[in-house]
Amino acid sequence: MSKYTASVETGLDRMREMARGNYDLRWMNANPEGWGHTATPGPAGLRLRDVETGYYAHVPEHGSPHGSMAPRGCQVPADTPGLGMYTLNEMSEVWAENAALLYDEAVVRQWNSVTDVPWDKLRELPDDIERAVCQMCTGLTEVEFVAGDMPAKWLCRINHDFHEVKLFLASQIMDEARHLDVFRKRALANGGGLLMASPGQERLLAAILEAPDYTTASALMHIFGEGFVLTLFRQGEFLAPTEVEKEIFRLCMQDEARHVAYGVKHLKYFLERHPERAEQVHAILDLGEQAIFTLTLEPQTSEPRAILAGGGLANIEMGMARMAFIYEKQVGEYLRRLQIAGLDREPRLTIPKQIPFEELAA
Amino acid sequence: MAETIFPSTEWFEALARRMEDDEAAYRALGSTDCTMVVRVDVPDGPDLYEVVFEGFRARSVRRLARIEDAAPEHFVLTASLDTWREMIDNIRAHAGPDLEHTLNYLTFPDYPMRVTGPDQLEVDAFYRYNQTLQRFFTGAAAVPTAFAA
Repeated sequence: MSKYTASVETGLDRMREMARGNYDLRWMNANPEGWGHTATPGPAGLRLRDVETGYYAHVPEHGSPHGSMAPRGCQVPADTPGLGMYTLNEMSEVWAENAALLYDEAVVRQWNSVTDVPWDKLRELPDDIERAVCQMCTGLTEVEFVAGDMPAKWLCRINHDFHEVKLFLASQIMDEARHLDVFRKRALANGGGLLMASPGQERLLAAILEAPDYTTASALMHIFGEGFVLTLFRQGEFLAPTEVEKEIFRLCMQDEARHVAYGVKHLKYFLERHPERAEQVHAILDLGEQAIFTLTLEPQTSEPRAILAGGGLANIEMGMARMAFIYEKQVGEYLRRLQIAGLDREPRLTIPKQIPFEELAA
Repeated sequence: MAETIFPSTEWFEALARRMEDDEAAYRALGSTDCTMVVRVDVPDGPDLYEVVFEGFRARSVRRLARIEDAAPEHFVLTASLDTWREMIDNIRAHAGPDLEHTLNYLTFPDYPMRVTGPDQLEVDAFYRYNQTLQRFFTGAAAVPTAFAA
């Protein structure tokens, strides 16, 4: 009786055959249609779109039923076991025309918080300004990684044939890790620290993570949430008291805009094929709008920005008035992005298009 | 060193050459694929320049007779000549913009500079490639500039 298991014995038999010069070599001619492929790098290098041509250009509308991690375009032996994990098997459920392009862009536009931020330019700030910066960073540290957790939740459910989307989402997870990390670093680096968490944010984060399917989660996070945060990053750069925060917000802004671009193009692709599902998207956006309105007006969200806009706590009222246009900008860009995706949200909007700060103050 | 007039194709070509000379820095920022139209509002009407970015270079620079001649996918940066002048002078004085003269700072409140486009995703390209675009204009630090009257 052998001391090894049957599978080890099979392996040893195979090795004995090879040792005798009996090689299989069928793999060498397994995929004649896919053989002889070449690719030419473009001005920006060799991108996915440069290699996914000809035989490899075809993306199936329905992901392969074998459900394995076999790469799209290879020959898959009949006895290849499936993983039994993929629930997102329709291209329309995840696809965006720009996914491959955005992945390539993400990997060449990576940066790091260790050496790409000029930390040596940090300087002591007035106490109210440092507290405002630290509160803003506390809020962003809290919110940013939902955009890592959400793709991570869905990644292993996406059929392997849609690797462009999986790669893009993987790059997004790294982007969000960097955002969490850089805002935490800024809060802890200059004599301040983390301040107050935001219950309002938690409600929005929960809605994103609990969304019933990938597309509604994506609409809520990529277009709605990240679109609003993109404006906050632009505002952060605008209000930055030193070159350090300027650089941080500019770098994060670029990442966030990629995520928004994927979300818009995915929703467009989805709604063109499933217009009957628009109502579900509207329903999740109803939830998101209510959460963001509460969040926007939370003191720990709005007040630090008003202090920075006014140039200090003594001018917080002036800062509040100066920053009132942000909300209108956020809502306007949100509606215009949805319009590109084919969703006319304006008649359904559940929150005001602008906050009449001066009227409210009066 | 001779001064180059802003706005002019020569001025933007000078920035494009700076970009070529500085390719390693642009590679570190990552590739850029977008079309930027710079609109300079002068009393005679807008003066328009299109800069097409591809990979790590500015592929082309041209003056436009009208905005309809721009590539279909583009964004527009619009400001008065005075605003452009202030930004460029500031870059030249500090070898880069100070905190109040970055592209994002100037455009965020929609005044004194404004970013627009055929649709929101085109406007978003300005945010997506912001570091590269900022570096492109920061190249003006090495371009002696005179301003059109």
